[in-house]
Amino acid sequence: MEPLSSSSSSAIAQQTWELENNIIPMESPSSTTNADDSIFHYDEAAQSEFHREKPWINDPHYFKRVKISALALLKMVVHARSGGTIEVMGLMQGKTDKDAIIVMDAFALPVEGTETRVNAQADAYEYMVDYSQTNKQAGRLENVVGWYHSHPGYGCWLSGIDVSTQMLNQQFQEPFLAVVIDPTRTVSAGKVEIGAFRTYPDGYKPPDEPISEYQTIPLNKIEDFGVHCKQYYSLDITYFKSSLDSHLLDLLWNKYWVNTLSSSPLLGNGDYVAGQISDLAEKLEQAENQLAHSRFGSLISPAPRKKEEESPLAKITRDSAKITVEQVHGLMSQVIKDILFNSSHQTNKSRAETSGPEPMIES
Amino acid sequence: MASSSSSGLTFKLHPLVILNISDHYTRVKSQINPPIAPHNTTTNGGDAVASSVPPRVYGCVIGVQKGRTVEIFNSFELLYDSSTNSLDRPFLEKKQELYKKVFPNFYILGWYSTGNDAEESDMLIHKALMDINESPVYLLLNPSINHSQKDLPVSIFESELHVIDGIPQLIFVRSSYTIETVEAERISVDHVAHLKPSDGGSAATQLAAHLTGIHSAIKMLHSRIKVLHHYLVAMQKGDVPCENSLLRQVSSLLRRLPAIESGKFQDDFLMEYNDTLLISYLAMLTNCSSATNDLVDKFNTAYDRHSRRGGRTAFM
Repeated sequence: MEPLSSSSSSAIAQQTWELENNIIPMESPSSTTNADDSIFHYDEAAQSEFHREKPWINDPHYFKRVKISALALLKMVVHARSGGTIEVMGLMQGKTDKDAIIVMDAFALPVEGTETRVNAQADAYEYMVDYSQTNKQAGRLENVVGWYHSHPGYGCWLSGIDVSTQMLNQQFQEPFLAVVIDPTRTVSAGKVEIGAFRTYPDGYKPPDEPISEYQTIPLNKIEDFGVHCKQYYSLDITYFKSSLDSHLLDLLWNKYWVNTLSSSPLLGNGDYVAGQISDLAEKLEQAENQLAHSRFGSLISPAPRKKEEESPLAKITRDSAKITVEQVHGLMSQVIKDILFNSSHQTNKSRAETSGPEPMIES
Repeated sequence: MASSSSSGLTFKLHPLVILNISDHYTRVKSQINPPIAPHNTTTNGGDAVASSVPPRVYGCVIGVQKGRTVEIFNSFELLYDSSTNSLDRPFLEKKQELYKKVFPNFYILGWYSTGNDAEESDMLIHKALMDINESPVYLLLNPSINHSQKDLPVSIFESELHVIDGIPQLIFVRSSYTIETVEAERISVDHVAHLKPSDGGSAATQLAAHLTGIHSAIKMLHSRIKVLHHYLVAMQKGDVPCENSLLRQVSSLLRRLPAIESGKFQDDFLMEYNDTLLISYLAMLTNCSSATNDLVDKFNTAYDRHSRRGGRTAFM
């Protein structure tokens, strides 16, 4: 296989994936770069016009989409991961485009563990002002459009404190967006776990919307989740990158494909997996008790079980399937690597015919 | 002069830095191109496409130096002060202070800019930074998009003191670097670049994504080995002059296979393997009990007899 043809076939694969996964490169076939990257232009007048109109006031469900730049995503995930098991937070800068909030950039705030602090904003306020000012001077003109924080290991949703923080900000800082990232699950699942949320105003009754995508929430957090989960809605996230970004990312792959082979999700995530399994065990126990109760209850008043909600056991099954799939994926890459680099049979062969050391089989 | 550095430092570059510079450049460019004049170079930004003088952006790279390894984690933007032909110092200090609060372990390692090659005037900027970091690095990104290019248009320069025409002078020397990622960073780069499903995704698409990732990495490895193979064959035929140092490198590379061949590894590997099998077994059991539960429920509904209540003890 020529390197050239391999790169072209990988380009096709990449295109398929980008199509399937809503990644929109800001690149059109005509290659005048300045036209492609129009999303990177900040139009102060249009933005302040939009701010004056305030179309979101009348419709609590006004913003429906979020566009996140590759840079902002990378910054947020790296920052979230650097916090380890501690929650970290930061702010996002960007702009609005009709019903979409565009996140151009993000920066970290010197605050950790927002969950335990009542008001992290006060600590970070001065920092935020300083940072935005210096950023403006450096040509980053966008204003703050939201905040992000991490939920290491327990999924992307808003806790009670998050909801009140977000509600406060939506009163005074509109347009404002909350983004939650789970760095632990990102590593475990091999894909970015991220959620974008906006709260409803106080007292607003949301129309019955389709239940958002099911996610695993640990037992000790489930109450917090359940109480507040009707107070906010999540927004669709898409990503964009500039033509230079995509060019660089393509080339980057040439440099760092090694990392795909050298990394192992199994190693770093032992704690998380063990935690998940013990959480599942607890949930199973709870489900068992519940089941016993409901059976007795149905004897007294044979009320039909509610159909719309999944049984706890079914949920547990899904959780366990999810964690298993992730583990099996990790193992698969390990096995593949073992075959590639450790099978002594192949090495003997390559030593025998010194002219053609080719330890791999053409696929 | 000396084309590669002899300082023996190893540079590790994180993709975040590259994207950050790229974004900085794109942003400044898109802001300039409609009406406003740039703050540093005199661009007549209008008619020409990329051939007109593109804006240059400046910034600082921060990270950690441990021993002889320099790891560049992050970067931030700086202003160019045209009066002193250098970087805006108060601004730099302000930024540094801000970043120190969030990333206390990161130090200023050097600076970045965009352009084709290091220029004479860059040395002034470089020298100005020497009181912060006595041997700063200069990271240069070439922002012009060239699709025939195979390598990252990023170079890292160090400064070295050389005696040229009897006068000791600092000159830029190119250093090699490797791309380094942390796991989460790799996943997000994959995520934005290609390969990974952006949301949920069924188990099948996840599996496909996972395997595609590995597949393309192996394909890359394969193509690299092919190149090496071709080269060696050509060398054997005598088309290419025999180069011993290269041959030695190839041979040492081959000697590394198998990568780990010890009983300990085999044990651990098997343990890992069995652990995973065990987890899938557990998941299977849960699945089974859930299915049984459903079945019993259905059974109860179908043959609803209040006298019967034995069903529940049979599972869990």
